[in-house]
Amino acid sequence: MRSMTYVWWREILRVILTLATAFLIGAMIMWLSGKNVLMAYKILFLAAFGSSSAIADTLLAATPLIFTGLATAVAFRAGVFNVGVEGSLYLGAFAGAWVGFTLKALPGPLIIALALLAASLVGGFWALIPGYLKARLRMDEIVTTIMLNYVAIYFTSYLVNYPFSVPGLANAMSPVIASSAIMPRLMPPSQLNFSFILALLAVITVAIFFNRTSLGYALRIYGANPLFARWSGIPSSEVILKAMMISGALGGLAGAGQVLGVNYRFIANFSPGYGFDGITIALLGANSPWGVLFGALLFGALRSGGSTLELMMDVPLELIRILEATIIFFVTAQFTLKWINRRRMKALPTS
Amino acid sequence: METFVNICFSTLRMATPLIFAAIGGVFSQQVGLINIALEGLMLIGAFTTVLGAFYLNSALWGVLMGIIAAMLLALIFAFFVIRLRANLIVVGLAVNLLALGLTKYLLQVLFATRGAFAPKNLPNLPPIDIPVLSAIPILGDIFSGHSFLVYLSWLFIFLTPIFLYRTVNGLHIRAVGENPNAAESVGIPVKRVQYWVLVLSGAFCGLAGAQLSLGNLQLFYQNMTNGRGFMALAAVYFGQGRPLPSALACLLFGFFDAVQIRLQTTIGIPPQLTQMLPYLIIVITLALISLRYVRQRS
Repeated sequence: MRSMTYVWWREILRVILTLATAFLIGAMIMWLSGKNVLMAYKILFLAAFGSSSAIADTLLAATPLIFTGLATAVAFRAGVFNVGVEGSLYLGAFAGAWVGFTLKALPGPLIIALALLAASLVGGFWALIPGYLKARLRMDEIVTTIMLNYVAIYFTSYLVNYPFSVPGLANAMSPVIASSAIMPRLMPPSQLNFSFILALLAVITVAIFFNRTSLGYALRIYGANPLFARWSGIPSSEVILKAMMISGALGGLAGAGQVLGVNYRFIANFSPGYGFDGITIALLGANSPWGVLFGALLFGALRSGGSTLELMMDVPLELIRILEATIIFFVTAQFTLKWINRRRMKALPTS
Repeated sequence: METFVNICFSTLRMATPLIFAAIGGVFSQQVGLINIALEGLMLIGAFTTVLGAFYLNSALWGVLMGIIAAMLLALIFAFFVIRLRANLIVVGLAVNLLALGLTKYLLQVLFATRGAFAPKNLPNLPPIDIPVLSAIPILGDIFSGHSFLVYLSWLFIFLTPIFLYRTVNGLHIRAVGENPNAAESVGIPVKRVQYWVLVLSGAFCGLAGAQLSLGNLQLFYQNMTNGRGFMALAAVYFGQGRPLPSALACLLFGFFDAVQIRLQTTIGIPPQLTQMLPYLIIVITLALISLRYVRQRS
């Protein structure tokens, strides 16, 4: 495992170069549209980290992203390109909300536990559909997961527009969850709540899962080299199914966290693309749980700072999406590392 | 009867963007590069077409601008995939995200709107009446009176197989897709072929976007492709990379899109469920095809 020893600093350098490029391109776009770039980045930074309430908002924005980032990373590690975390998130969010507004008589912690369980089960089983189609029918998971995202988004929207609609409300949303099912806040008045702690626990759990369990090992081997995994007796379809189940469950938890901690009900089309951000975050974090945590905090800062930026300097929040796209462009590109490799070659002429 | 004619007419209209994008997808598939970026290329094409038509006050110039913009974005896509050897799927997703972010950003910066951009005097693509055909009762109502892009898409459905299977360039494309190393060894410039094919598929996505924004609706709204690029990709999978079956799949998906819109306006079915329909049907048809394929092999 010699190669593992120097990988970490290369990873860090890769991330720094990628981020620098993204911010440079963001600066160019703002400059071209006549904005004061330095001022904008200063506001972005201060709005994300400038005060304790700003930091709380950053952590709040990062919470669903930690879950979706982990969800994506688990699937990617197993070599499954799951783009369907968004769908699991919607269905999981609705399942969590349903428990919250239906089982009102139960004591608080029990409702929360049941809501989280329901969300992870629904999210997980939803992800099993494309998982099954890939494992058994060799269907490409990218198209199926993207198509199923639309199905999940429209279906949950139907649910709160028809069977679970609240009369007299202009927007499509479910009834409010029981007040005892609301996640406790960590730093009031910020909405930062207990689901952030759950997200951190999820990071640790996934880290243990990858490094200390046989399924986690099988997942990594399968993702790294499917052929080798099959020859070592790891059944490929089982790995795909389990990875998708875990990935979908984490996506469902992301949705439930937003319902129980922030919105207190299911709102149609509530996600601004948490599931898709998860892809960027997993790629940026090299599919490692700690990398995902870093990426999610970064994107939490960008999202929360970005809204202030839009408000104060009229820079559209979409700038953040452009930064995100730039990051994905560069994150797997090989050129950033070329000169490093060349230097390594010089240092080790015989290898 | 009138309903039937209406649905057939709008099937052809709705299928056209899918057909163009699918032709782009077929070319990429044949050269061995799955094109996840169809969606984003189409979106940038749709946006730039409206932008061009608005500023240059000409629908044709708009279409041309749309094609050029999509080709430029496809060139960036190709550069990252071929030159920088970035992951094909990942960069494809990046293209989609960039197109989505950039069009929304520009909508806000240029026109101070978050939703739709529908200027009053936007020049449109005039419907073309086909002389003899338009006089025939039902057929005329279905096949005549579309924008020139609809007819152009039919032309390309028949030109694409000829190009791919009957010309040297087409042979080169398929050779590179079959085995790049073998192609390289007989002197085919593999990378150049890949570049050209990706940029070409960008041009088709530009046409797809043009029909979507200027041909079908005369406006642009944010994220107006709404998964149609992926529908086109699904059609390519459906046709296993062959032009004619892929185009047929587009007609099928276009039909469900047309039925879906019809159901929304006529019967009291919840619109969310009808909107869900095309996506669900794509998953089911692809699953059925894969099932048959797996059964045949075993």
